[in-house]
Amino acid sequence: MSRTATAAPGLSSDPGRTILPSWLKASGRTLVSFAVTLLGLAALTFFIGRLLPLDPVVAVLGDNVTQEAYQAMYKQLGLDQPLYVQFGRYLWGVLHLDFGMALTTGKPVMTDIARVFPATIELASVAIVIGTSFGIPLGVLSAMYRGSWLDQIVRVVGLIGYSAPNFWLGLMGLVLFYATLGWVGGPGRIDFTYEFDLEPVTGFLLIDSLLAGNWEMFGNAVSHIILPASILAFSSLAYISRMTRSFMMEQLSQEYVVTARVKGLSWARTVWGHAFRNIAVQVLTVVALSYAFLLEGAVLTETVFAWPGFGRYLTNALLAGDMNAVVGCTLLVGVIFVTLNLLCDLLYRVFDPRTR
Amino acid sequence: MANQNHDTGTKRRLAGSKLLSAAAAAALCAGAGTAIAATPKNALVMAWNIDAISTFDPAQVGEVVTNEILQNTCDTLVDFDQTDERKVVPGFAARWDVSADRKEITFHLQKGAKFPSGNPVTAEDVAWSMHRVVKLNFGNAATLTEYGFTKDNIEQRIVAGAGDTVTLKLDKPYPTTLVLQGIAANRVSMIMDKKTLMANEQGSDLGNKYLATRTACVGPYKLTRWNAGESIVLEANDGYWGKAPALKRVLIRHVAEPGTQRLLLSQGDVDVARDLTPEDLRDLEGSKDIAIEKVLRPQLFYWGFNVADGPFSKEKVRLAMRYLIDYDTLGKTVMTHLGVPRASFAQLGAVGALDAKEGQPFKLDLDKAKQLLTEAGYPNGFEASVLFGTLPHANPIAQSVQQNAAKIGVKLSLERMANAQLFSKVRGREYQSAMLAWQTGVPDAHGNASRLVFNPDNRLEAKQTQYPSWRAAYQDLELNKQIDAALLEPDTAKRDALYAAIQKEVMAKGPMAFMFQMNSVAGVRKDLKSWTWNGFRTYYERAAK
Repeated sequence: MSRTATAAPGLSSDPGRTILPSWLKASGRTLVSFAVTLLGLAALTFFIGRLLPLDPVVAVLGDNVTQEAYQAMYKQLGLDQPLYVQFGRYLWGVLHLDFGMALTTGKPVMTDIARVFPATIELASVAIVIGTSFGIPLGVLSAMYRGSWLDQIVRVVGLIGYSAPNFWLGLMGLVLFYATLGWVGGPGRIDFTYEFDLEPVTGFLLIDSLLAGNWEMFGNAVSHIILPASILAFSSLAYISRMTRSFMMEQLSQEYVVTARVKGLSWARTVWGHAFRNIAVQVLTVVALSYAFLLEGAVLTETVFAWPGFGRYLTNALLAGDMNAVVGCTLLVGVIFVTLNLLCDLLYRVFDPRTR
Repeated sequence: MANQNHDTGTKRRLAGSKLLSAAAAAALCAGAGTAIAATPKNALVMAWNIDAISTFDPAQVGEVVTNEILQNTCDTLVDFDQTDERKVVPGFAARWDVSADRKEITFHLQKGAKFPSGNPVTAEDVAWSMHRVVKLNFGNAATLTEYGFTKDNIEQRIVAGAGDTVTLKLDKPYPTTLVLQGIAANRVSMIMDKKTLMANEQGSDLGNKYLATRTACVGPYKLTRWNAGESIVLEANDGYWGKAPALKRVLIRHVAEPGTQRLLLSQGDVDVARDLTPEDLRDLEGSKDIAIEKVLRPQLFYWGFNVADGPFSKEKVRLAMRYLIDYDTLGKTVMTHLGVPRASFAQLGAVGALDAKEGQPFKLDLDKAKQLLTEAGYPNGFEASVLFGTLPHANPIAQSVQQNAAKIGVKLSLERMANAQLFSKVRGREYQSAMLAWQTGVPDAHGNASRLVFNPDNRLEAKQTQYPSWRAAYQDLELNKQIDAALLEPDTAKRDALYAAIQKEVMAKGPMAFMFQMNSVAGVRKDLKSWTWNGFRTYYERAAK
């Protein structure tokens, strides 16, 4: 007992319970929470999927099928088994990273996800870089010059970013920048001319074209991604700038800011060197959430830009009643959110010593 | 230290913004080039919604996109005449003989052909390909079983003979042209590479899983790449026995959004756009670069009624509903380019079909509808639901009918749902009425009569779900007899007369109010020559630049 009472920092200070280091306990708690979240998600999605009036047999065979063939496929898909048996089998498969076959593509769900997800990661990553690069400075400047014309512009831009549908912005963007001005590439990830000359290595066209040393192809891929990424970035930018402005305004009203200014520190240094560091954790959370939403899939943007990504795959699977694909994708979304939350927790420790 | 960090951070941000600017500039420069780029000279490039593709097995395929791709990659025994689809022309069978009693058809096959795998194409491959359709028993098996072929007799009834021949032995003297159209020109006779498929058989699936992502057959093109929901690439089959295609490649990019398709077409990034809306098509009329190509296809859009009980069980109510459809206005607005009014179950262009005028005798007539409802015992109207799926024209048509119905006291509640859900409800007879489409595989009135009117067993437990007539709980034994008689009538004129009588009777009391026969429509750039199609096939191999 006395050992725990005099334990070094990092060990538990509860003498009656355990001698495990606190970081280990925290990791254990996180892992259990991670597993329970995913299990709950899998169960919820699985049972909702079974309750929906969507017929997976029709999704496979079409509606022009004999009852005999229907029954055979019904059995083959295991739908004749009790729900708990179906769920048990499904979980067993998931534990082996087998999400079953996608009924609408005839391929394993994992294969499909591995194919479509890089397209979404690539698009979301470029979008979040653009959104963050502009959103944070604009939010800070807006707070610094509250009530000025700059602040008004940022607020109007934010309002438009929130309220204008991406679908409409995408089409208008295509009409203006692709069809009228010819500044950017059209829908799709790359021109057909290049698409079939590239052997996928990572699945990320920007990286694969660089790895292939093909700068022309890289330029083409950039020209295709820049518009959809900018459209997506617009809504992220609106969210990030608005939240940053709000956080920063709160900080700027604190006494330490006045003190710093009285002591002769410049306005810019006060804001960026002190106030911004205090809101970094909150801004990080906002950016991570924005990124998670982008990764979850920007269905409408992907549809307008013929972007073969995750959101569109999930939507098509849902409409076709392909529940294997739907449950697999939902679990992935869950993993994304939980992982980004974990990542945020870790980064909190870096940015905020109080959380260490 | 803090100052240093701040300065370094500023420099990094500046460097980052320079990089971003450079990337944006590179994008703009690159983009300026791509926007005016034409499609490759040796390739046909199409934008098309290809979400529906889930397999390339001809035994299982049931939708138009994959069917079209298979028709260009897998030869059938005979082919539809491009200019008159009611006639057939030689395909992989160079010629055929018919026995005097019309119960045996012997096909003489092309010699020396090879599959892309290098395996020779044999008569055994041809016969086995049809056997597997029946043995696998997917929906397409009905194409053969309705002519008396069964799992038990298929190997004795479809036989590979000596000298590269294959013989079909029929149980009844069906019209030869109908058999040629219905079987020999249908995907069920697509010639599969038996050796390759059996080498890749899983369980006893006869290569079904192997064909989920690839083809194994002989045709002018071969499938070389399919990324589900992204793109398809067909390459000319160099060792093809027939005429080589003019264009070496067919590139199909999945583009779900019609507006995006239109942009790609206008910019010359695709040669053909397949899913343009009526508004897009109207805007493109008169374009100097783009032509609108359309052809009637054997697909009917109809309002189907569950006649098991309720108001729709009465013939006069069903007839009254036909007078609530504003064929003319819808034909000129919502359905411009998409289809033509058609009230008969036999599509225009089919053998035995009524002509355009006789096959569409209805028009919006609220007084007539009201009178019929009164005679049926519903003078004050009734309430009913209308289900429909995601077809873009279904919603405005349903709304139009709903508004007209309200004027005579019929309250229709509209319910839109995913197609899979709609099909499940209709297959299970869990609906009052529904708007959906049906496509036949033969240019003969029998094609639809045998499914939309004929019903072999109307009991709920019979589960004859492949018959839309059963789904409507509709059975008329007298009509069943008439359909059987028309099928086997050897005299063409008498046969046509029989089908004419059936069509008129069904228009008056049938369980489906047929509304429109659909067109295949495409926007085609004028620098693409010889875009060739009819209601049953699109001939990629004839396209040229």
